Amino acid sequence: MSAGPSSSGFLESSRRGVADADLRRKLENATGRHLEHVAATRAEFPAFDSERDAARRIKEDAIGRLDELLVELKNKLEANGATVFVAADAGEARDYIVNVVKRAGAKQVVKGKSMTTEEIELNPALERAGVEVVETDLGEYIVQLRGERPSHIITPAIHLSKEDIGRLFADKLGIPYTAEPETLTDAARKRLREIFLSAGVGVTGVNFAIAETGTLALIENEGNGRLSSTLPDTFIAVMGIEKVIPKLSDLPHFLEILARTGTGQKLTTYVNFISGPRGRHDADGPRAMHVVILDNGRSAMLADPVLREALYCLRCGACLNVCPVYRRIGGHAYNSTYPGPIGSIVSPNLFGSAAAELPFASTLCGACRDICPVRIDIPRILLHLRWRESVAQPAIKWPKAAVKARASVVRFARMARFPRTLRLLTRLAAPVLRPFARDGYMRRMPGVAGNWTRWGRDFPALRARRKTRQKPAEHS
Amino acid sequence: MSAFHKLIARVRTALERPVESAPPHHEAGGMAPPHAEAARRAELASAFAREFAAVRGEFLGIHAPEEIPAKVVELARSLNALAVAVGAGVTLDFEPIGRALEAARMAVVRTNAKKRDDAPPLRERIAQADLGVVEADAAIASTGTLAVVGTPASPASLTLTPPANLIIFHADRVHADLAAAIAALGPEPFVKNRVAMITGPSRTADIEKMIVLGVHGPRRLFAIAAWPR
Repeated sequence: MSAGPSSSGFLESSRRGVADADLRRKLENATGRHLEHVAATRAEFPAFDSERDAARRIKEDAIGRLDELLVELKNKLEANGATVFVAADAGEARDYIVNVVKRAGAKQVVKGKSMTTEEIELNPALERAGVEVVETDLGEYIVQLRGERPSHIITPAIHLSKEDIGRLFADKLGIPYTAEPETLTDAARKRLREIFLSAGVGVTGVNFAIAETGTLALIENEGNGRLSSTLPDTFIAVMGIEKVIPKLSDLPHFLEILARTGTGQKLTTYVNFISGPRGRHDADGPRAMHVVILDNGRSAMLADPVLREALYCLRCGACLNVCPVYRRIGGHAYNSTYPGPIGSIVSPNLFGSAAAELPFASTLCGACRDICPVRIDIPRILLHLRWRESVAQPAIKWPKAAVKARASVVRFARMARFPRTLRLLTRLAAPVLRPFARDGYMRRMPGVAGNWTRWGRDFPALRARRKTRQKPAEHS
Repeated sequence: MSAFHKLIARVRTALERPVESAPPHHEAGGMAPPHAEAARRAELASAFAREFAAVRGEFLGIHAPEEIPAKVVELARSLNALAVAVGAGVTLDFEPIGRALEAARMAVVRTNAKKRDDAPPLRERIAQADLGVVEADAAIASTGTLAVVGTPASPASLTLTPPANLIIFHADRVHADLAAAIAALGPEPFVKNRVAMITGPSRTADIEKMIVLGVHGPRRLFAIAAWPR
């Protein structure tokens, strides 16, 4: 399991995803349900769009003066008694965390749900150091038991049915087989509660870091983030540099839109605020708190004026659920910690050339841009990345057919600059191709143009004469 | 809602602008006559109760502070609780609650009691309790949320490790929305303590998007509004 995409290729893995009818049924079911909830909660909140605009403006401001805000955040956190470590890349972050765990003498680490720790491949590093790592978010626990990576940012086990999970628990936890979600959840609760009470270190991600007060906000439904940050003696929070917002009063604007888009709730069950370790008289809370602030390619994204916008992302996961590509191939096909539309932007920038082909894994339909709570123009950024890939030394090993198809598109583009010649050629070619056409469409094209029709697409038959433009029909 | 606010609401509707659900708490000012203040308070409390029920919380009604100990005993009995962990109040005195529970022959875990040397640490005794009782610093009407500030006398575990949780809040401390509640709390508790905003019992939808309660935190969450006579 590696956080970055393997070089086996997106085309290959997406083909496997498309061929898996069972997977598609599960994905349609789960993403469809999510979108219904989102539509319902949004409809009853008239201020939704104005809150989106407010949140977007705050992000624009925050990312625009990230330097000042990070300094303020660090100072405030340290004043609150936390230890702050700034990691330039995944390796530095891993080493620091492994060291803290070793110094704490912990044999077990409990983890709240965190995509950033998936990104830095923390679990294998801790395991190599002889530490047992237990994922405590139910979905993460399930995929950990299966030795998989999450296939969705918010719903890690979205690719599994309750029967799949029933069989897994019967096999790994030794409970009698059942597909009842209540019974399965209860079994996980019992197992994990014991571990919570004994683990020496808790690790979680961060949703928002408030510079003004030096406060981390953790957003969740299960309570495992609260447990991970409350019961163990040492608490480590891992955050990307883009998570910082200026003021406490900025937070409500994000809270009003995040759950409504991410899960279709008005607000998640828990919003936890943590500013530092426990006080001298407190009965719980960690005795030591560490905050790891991670760059890992983000400052390079900041330097690109088009890509910068991707740093506004709240990781709500809605763009995955709405994406026609994600819904057909599933998260694992992307071979990256961050799948789906936003993942196709973030992954090439965090994991380099191995994910270079992901920006091409989109129909550019724009559904992601429409649902995004902070209105990130995902299609525009994807086009920008495609352009960047095509002018740079290409890192992608394209299939031969694709290279040929691209060459013919280039030839066509050249020809299109001379419309008269193009028309003449069309007029000459039309009678030759006519025998292949039926009902005004060609099912198969000859030569390199066959790449167009090979994947089930039709091509309009060429006409010898210019089509006379018809008046649009009157709509009743 | 004052006539001015009503006018603004109409104008906003006409302009197809988002309508604000209610004027924020702090802007209402101290000039409202007592009955208007009481009406607003009742409106917010009932809005809270509706949203709280929508997230599967169980609202046990509005009661005078002196009635609350009996209500807590009644709840603890209905849960067959053997041990109840009781925090310290914020605006209310929680001592009568502890005494009433003891009178009903239930073990009470007190957070302010001096620890005996042989007793296990407080957080473990709280984890063993069947019910945790705390007072919220603020409630939020628009989402059915309770904001609880963890302090030495009311540790975070009280709302986290027992399987059931009762949160009492003062009817004066219900705010229209998140922004108003955060403004009213001010930055201090966020810096000095751990704040948890709690909206319903712990839940998950990780198995086929079906909602299951009590995955890690309390399975049942109760609330009582305190309204002094």
